[in-house]
Amino acid sequence: MKLNAMKMTAACAVTTLSMGLAASTALAQTPSWCGPNEASLALLDGFGGNSWRLVTTASGAEEAAKCPSITEYVYADGQGDTQKAISDINSMAARGIKAMVVFGDAGPAVLPALTNAHRAGTIVVPYRVNVGGVEGENYAKFIGSSFVEDGVSWGNWIKEVLPEGGNVLFLSGPAGNSQGVDELAGMKQVLDDKYVFINPEPFAVTNWDPSLTQQVLSAEIAKNDKIDVIVSDFGPSLVGALPVFAEFGRSIPALATSDGNSLSCFYEQNKDANPDFKLFTVATGNDNVRLAVQWAVALATGGTPPTDEIFKAPVYENSVSGTPNPVTCRPDLPGSIYLSAEMADDAQAKAVGQ
Amino acid sequence: MAQYQQSAGHDGLGLDLRSLKPARGFVTVVISTLMLIVVCAIFAPSAISAGGLAGSLPFAAIIAIVGLGQMLVVQQGGFDLSLAGGVSLAVVITTHMSGGSDAQLFSSIAFALACAVVAGSVNGLLVGVLRLNAIVATIGMNALLYGAVFAVSGGVPRITTPLMAQIAGGKTLGVPNSVLFALVIMLLVSFVLKKTVIGRRFEAIGANPAAAHAAGLKVQLYQAMAYVFAQLHYCVAGILISGITREPTAFQGDSLLLPSVAVVVLAGTSLLGGRGFPISTVLAAYFLNQLSQFALAVGVPFSAQTIIQALALVFGIGVYSLRWKQAATKRALKSKTEETDNEA
Repeated sequence: MKLNAMKMTAACAVTTLSMGLAASTALAQTPSWCGPNEASLALLDGFGGNSWRLVTTASGAEEAAKCPSITEYVYADGQGDTQKAISDINSMAARGIKAMVVFGDAGPAVLPALTNAHRAGTIVVPYRVNVGGVEGENYAKFIGSSFVEDGVSWGNWIKEVLPEGGNVLFLSGPAGNSQGVDELAGMKQVLDDKYVFINPEPFAVTNWDPSLTQQVLSAEIAKNDKIDVIVSDFGPSLVGALPVFAEFGRSIPALATSDGNSLSCFYEQNKDANPDFKLFTVATGNDNVRLAVQWAVALATGGTPPTDEIFKAPVYENSVSGTPNPVTCRPDLPGSIYLSAEMADDAQAKAVGQ
Repeated sequence: MAQYQQSAGHDGLGLDLRSLKPARGFVTVVISTLMLIVVCAIFAPSAISAGGLAGSLPFAAIIAIVGLGQMLVVQQGGFDLSLAGGVSLAVVITTHMSGGSDAQLFSSIAFALACAVVAGSVNGLLVGVLRLNAIVATIGMNALLYGAVFAVSGGVPRITTPLMAQIAGGKTLGVPNSVLFALVIMLLVSFVLKKTVIGRRFEAIGANPAAAHAAGLKVQLYQAMAYVFAQLHYCVAGILISGITREPTAFQGDSLLLPSVAVVVLAGTSLLGGRGFPISTVLAAYFLNQLSQFALAVGVPFSAQTIIQALALVFGIGVYSLRWKQAATKRALKSKTEETDNEA
């Protein structure tokens, strides 16, 4: 452990955040998942370079700060490079970090590294992206997100606004990503044959890239005279693409997606000119990391683990019923923050550096 | 080598070759494009509908502009892999430095252009003067530019200013402004390359640097300037992307590198250097973009979309190469050289 501690100070690719300052805020009330044993915690990202990740990372740090038993909190960004993600995991294990929360973007490719860390005695908690493997054997606990649940929420809303059925256009990220497949399964649970998916099976591929989204959407609009509802699992990427409807002299249709300040503000600005434009969002899931941190901290410090094992993104905005929230735009804050996240709006603005 | 001789021979050999050769590259691209339009009209009419074109043409314009930049470098026998970094840096500078305010827009654009000149000059110095391998030098520059992208943006996308969205995303007389930008740049490049002394020297140097050097031309300077002007093209493309896409990512240039090389090759510019074909390059950009629109409009699964695009590219380049070989054989016979094997 002494040696490891020395390596720890030598490592330079990682940002080290002192928890001392933050601990004072947590003194008021220690949550039940925070046990008495001292531990160090690492948050490992596969790719940290977008606003969603920045808010998520800051949320993870905020959650860890609630527990005074966490003596050290470190963060490493794999920068979208699987090799670097793997070496980050290995070096954290070598440094003797007690618990690590891992966003395994590369999927099963990081499993061997996670398994090694787990066997070396580190509490390993992968979250959100399925890395394969078995709980207790390859890692301590996997905290998934219920994308099927998101699909069900969207499906139920689509039934409300289009009781007679209609044409659905579903856009997701890279080809074959499991998130999109799960969401489709969720929608199919609720929607019957009256609802026709007009995209290629299983979803139109956008890579979650705004510019590709724009091209895909304009092709789909040109092709289909009737699109009743668009479903997308990354709402803010549609902001650049939706004005394409005006090119065709058509109203933006109903939209079931995930939230983002830029999207909400876009809705506010365009709802009057587009009579069919309705918006329904689920929380974009930044708080998934909080549940993962709670589990990791509980296992590392001897606290009581939370009862939830899967993060269920709550419904956030509904422009039709106004419940649980009406569409909320904060024009004074950056477009790239997520009002659905637990983290305070201003703190998010700071996290994304604006 | 046959390419060199035939190109270098232009100025002396007279009109017959000169009028034949551009027609060959141009005709190939035009025929492929017309064929594609016919296929679209039959199988996916929405891809060539007015609305469909309005949505897709701005992206063709972007490919055309980066393609023209890449063409300048390829004309000097080089490759510019710093395209992705150059485009992305221009995107983040115009979106972040302007801070969403129109008042700051023009100063941020000026700064982006200045950065492009610096990056291009360093590339030019490394490749043109210090004779580093173009691929090695520009891949290093690309990494540096991405460093700058992160320094400016932290990797976070930001929404563009309303004025920029209006300039790049708007329309004039029904034509997307970005398309007008691409056409103006194409005319400018064509004019300079084909009708000015500087342009003629530029092409002559690309065709045969040794001969040009013997003729007393400043080979190093011209080769270096190819990289500077290429970066300026990427920069303009990046600025336009920041207006066309409301909230562009910080890595918007990544997907443009391959298309930029593809359009240069499709347009018939030899990878060994020599003559450039700006008009064909722009047409090839339209062809490439229309191809992906076609694949999208047909509504086949993503895997099939990728295969369709790849096959059409192979077809386009294959047709071109076959014609090349015939032509090269004829020329070789004519000039009594025996170097046709290089053209295969």
